[in-house]
Formats: sequence, C-alpha cells, structure tokens
Amino acid sequence: MRRLVSVLGLLGLGSLAVGCGSDDQSSERPSVVVTTSILGAVVTDVVGDAADVIVLVPNGTDPHDWEPSAKDVEAIGRADLVVSNGLDLEEKLVEALESAEANGVRVFHATDHIEPLAPTEDDHGHSHDDGDPHFWTDPLAMAAVVEAFGAELSNLGIEVDDRVTRVVTDLKDVDGVITQLLSSLPDDRRVLVTGHDSLGYFAEHYGFTLLGSIIPGFTSAADVNAGDLAELKEAIATTGATVIFSELGTPTDVAEALASETGTRVVELATHLVPADGLYRSFLLNLASDIVAALSATS
Amino acid sequence: MGPLIDPFVDNDFMLRALLAGALVSIACAIVGTYVVLRGMSFIGDALAHGVLPGVAGALLLGWPTMLGAAVGAGVMIGGVGVVTRRSRLSSDAAIGLLFVGLLALGIVVISSSDSITTSVEAILFGEFLGVSDGDLWTLGIAVLVVGAIAVWSARPFLLLCFDPDLASVMGYRAGRYHQLMLALVAGTIVVAFQTVGSLLVFGMLLAPAGVGSLLARRVGVMMLWASVAGVLSTYVGLLLSYHYGWAAGATVVLVSVVLFFVTLIATSLVPRRPG
Repeated sequence: MRRLVSVLGLLGLGSLAVGCGSDDQSSERPSVVVTTSILGAVVTDVVGDAADVIVLVPNGTDPHDWEPSAKDVEAIGRADLVVSNGLDLEEKLVEALESAEANGVRVFHATDHIEPLAPTEDDHGHSHDDGDPHFWTDPLAMAAVVEAFGAELSNLGIEVDDRVTRVVTDLKDVDGVITQLLSSLPDDRRVLVTGHDSLGYFAEHYGFTLLGSIIPGFTSAADVNAGDLAELKEAIATTGATVIFSELGTPTDVAEALASETGTRVVELATHLVPADGLYRSFLLNLASDIVAALSATS
Repeated sequence: MGPLIDPFVDNDFMLRALLAGALVSIACAIVGTYVVLRGMSFIGDALAHGVLPGVAGALLLGWPTMLGAAVGAGVMIGGVGVVTRRSRLSSDAAIGLLFVGLLALGIVVISSSDSITTSVEAILFGEFLGVSDGDLWTLGIAVLVVGAIAVWSARPFLLLCFDPDLASVMGYRAGRYHQLMLALVAGTIVVAFQTVGSLLVFGMLLAPAGVGSLLARRVGVMMLWASVAGVLSTYVGLLLSYHYGWAAGATVVLVSVVLFFVTLIATSLVPRRPG
C-alpha cells in the first residue's frame, strides 16, 4: 500500500507541475468550481446564468477513488469561487484547496454552515473523522448551505437573491413531500443498514435508526473487518431488518454474502449520484422513494 | 465451543473466508516456494499491481474481471520479456518500468471513468468476507491445476532454482520452464485476487513460503510447511479480525509475516540438526 501511495503522490505532483504551464483562457463570466456533482447540481441551480459552473469529480465516481487532473487543479487556481463539501470528503483535493486558498482563491466550505453530526466512537475505541460529511441527504441542511452560499456570492458581486429564495423554498417543499412520502412507513421498518455511514443526516431528520454499515465510517475507503460484520449480522437478526442498502464503493460480494446469511436483500441506493435530469430535487425524491419502496416491501 | 471455534460455526462468511484462505494458502505454498527459491518476488509484486488496469478495463467493457486480470498479467510478463531482450536494461528495471506504468494506467482509467464503482482497495485487498460458492469452486480447481503442473514439472523446476545450467545440460529448456513458472505465479494471482485481493495473494506467496524455507531443505517439505503456515495465518488472522475488528485481509497477511519472523528467531536460537 505504501508503494501505491508514493506512486500516487508522484502522479499528483506531476499533475500540479503541468497545471502551471497552461495558457490563459478567461471568459467574461465568473467561474465557480464545485468539487462534487451533488453540490454542483445545487450550485448550478442557484447561480443560473450568472457564472460558469465547473464540477470536478465526475458524477458517479467515488470521491475517494478519484484523482485530480492537472486541468482540475488549474481550474481551482483560476476560480473566482471554489465550493467544497468539507469534512474530508474531498480527501484528494485537500492540498490543492489549501494552496489555492493560500494564493487568495475564495473557498466556500459547505459544511461550515451546518451543524455537523459528530463522529461516532466505535466499539473498539477509535473515532473516525472530524464529522459526517454527507449533509446532502437532508434538504433543510442543504437549504442552510444555500443561504450562506447566496451571501458568499453577493460578496463577489453576484446578486442572485431571488434565485436563492426560490431554491430554499423549493428545498423546504421537497422536505414536506419527503415527510409525506415516508409517513406510510411504520416505526419498526425505519431501520437502515448501509454500505458506509452515509445516511446519518437523513436518519436524524426523518426519524430513522441507523443500524450499522458494512464499512463503519464516513468513507467507503476502509477495509471490512470480521468483528464489525458479525456485530452487524447480529443486529440485523435481532431487529428484523429486511434490506441492506449498497452504495458507491460498497464491497458488493460482502453485501451479498451478508444478505444471504441474514435472509435480507441487497438494494442499490444512489446516495452520491445525481440522476439523469441533473436536479438535486430529483436526487432527494429518488432517495426517499427508493428507501420507502425497499423498506415497505414484504419480503 | 469457545471463542476460537464459535466465530466460524456461527458465521457462514467466516467459514467461507477460512476455506478460501486455506485454498489460496495451498496454491500459494506451491507457487510461492519457487518464487522464494528462484528470487522472483519483484515480478510477483509487479504482477499483483499489474492486474489493476486489466481489471479496470474489464469493468469498463463489461468483461469478466478475471479475464481482464489475465490480460494485465500477460502484458506485464510479455512486456518484461520484450524490454530485457531489446534493451540493455536489467530485468528488475524492466519489471519496475512495467509495474509503475500499468499501475498508473489503472489509476488513470479508474479516475476518469464514471461507470466503475469498484474501488481500488477492493481490487488490491479483495473481498475476503464476501466469498461465494463460485469463488470456492474456482479456487479449488486452481489448486488442482497448480498442483498438477508442479508435480509434472517438479524436476525441471528444481533444477531451475538451484542449477539452471544443469537443467539445460539435462535437456530441459530453461527459458520455457521459466515462462511456465511465471505463468503459474500470474495464474495464482489472477484466480485469487477477486477473493483475497491481489496484494494479499502476493503476501501469501512470500511469507508462508519463507517460513517453509526456514524449516525444511527439501522442496516438497518446504511446500508442506508453507501450506501449514498459510492456513494457520488465515485462521489466526480471521480470528483477530473478528475479535478486535481489524481489517480482515490485511490482518491475515500481517499474521503470516509475523509468523515468518517468529520462525526466523526460533530457528536461529535452536541450533540446526546436522544433515
């Protein structure tokens, strides 16, 4: 692994060096660079035609497995505003973002504007991260971020107050629709088993219990261990959970093995993927309706 | 029955991991002994990483990942052959060149594709706790094939390890058997990477075979010890992963390496019997 890391480091350095040599290509509109596709969908909605939005991590790629290209680092360096998720979601961009910030690029960290869910202390006594980065599974947390983002834009001289108001109203509306959608689900079915700990905000906001994850932790990067898997199996057996939600980066064979051993089914859930229409609203509605459909099905 | 047995009785995934680990251990004991004796560790390491772009390409095209891994391994072995024949680079430079090239290609492919959902970690470290029936059958057949080839070419392999010149004198084509040995290493990695991960196969090729080389002089006995060391490491590693929540695949490899050093210390303290 260390060899892999050092090779990756070399590749990263190479891309930085190339990034400096490219020629200037400034357009008239300010450029807003967003790290992830879900944030990108929201930012596009907010800025409209007032700025060019560039999303770095391709939609559907695990941010953990993604490497920035020279072009990406260049885009960050030239951006009028960079929007990042924060809380270590963009682990491969931390240094590029820090050096851009040091060079005077404005960086808006979305999770600075929410109450982050605390990291969980696991049974073996080590805590995982600084906090849960997956705030986008809660529309109201996103609404708070959008308001702060609107203020940041107006600092830059981009006035989109009416769009901010519309997006926030829309998010509150989606929240109501989802609450309505979930109301059919009885309490004893509001139990979530996921690939990694990605639905914390969703569970907190809509009253679900997070039973556990195949990879306990906020990143899909860690390796599976037998002790946690056995505990999860035990927990599934005692609560009678019926579904294991697998996500981007979930080890599929392990999920299948656990499902066949516990008599549950594996259901794919798009927790990190913007749907084809490119709308965050659709992402939320799909997420909620997929969860309801999976959990209310009689196995 | 207590904490040493119960985890395997109560949990199907533990039992399957143990079985898969045992099968990988046996295949790796046979192949790994030759790797250690003939000094082919670096090409083994390179093969373990070299399958990455093949697997990534296979995922992209919707091919079976094992086929992609085989193509990656083939490119690695073929490329090393071409570079050493056509240039003045030594074989370790050739291996290093292809190693880093293929690894980089794998990362580029995975980074720029939005349709690959398997993580790099899953390829390198496998899904040890998600072993299916199909995986067990594949591994079982692989052990039989590896065992048959090893028995069939026992004599030329032995000569290749200890006295390559004598092998030629006795009418064996050293080059051809060297290629066969490489193919065995590659085949073991290709078959086992999906279950235990390509890096873990590499660990299991080296450490238990190292234990075998410390405990025995005859190749057959070395392989036997290596199998025992591999199976023991799998069992202890899985138990540690179960009771302490350590990453499964990495713990198994860690145990096998620790076992090597314990054996090394023990054999240096105990004077060797003559003969």
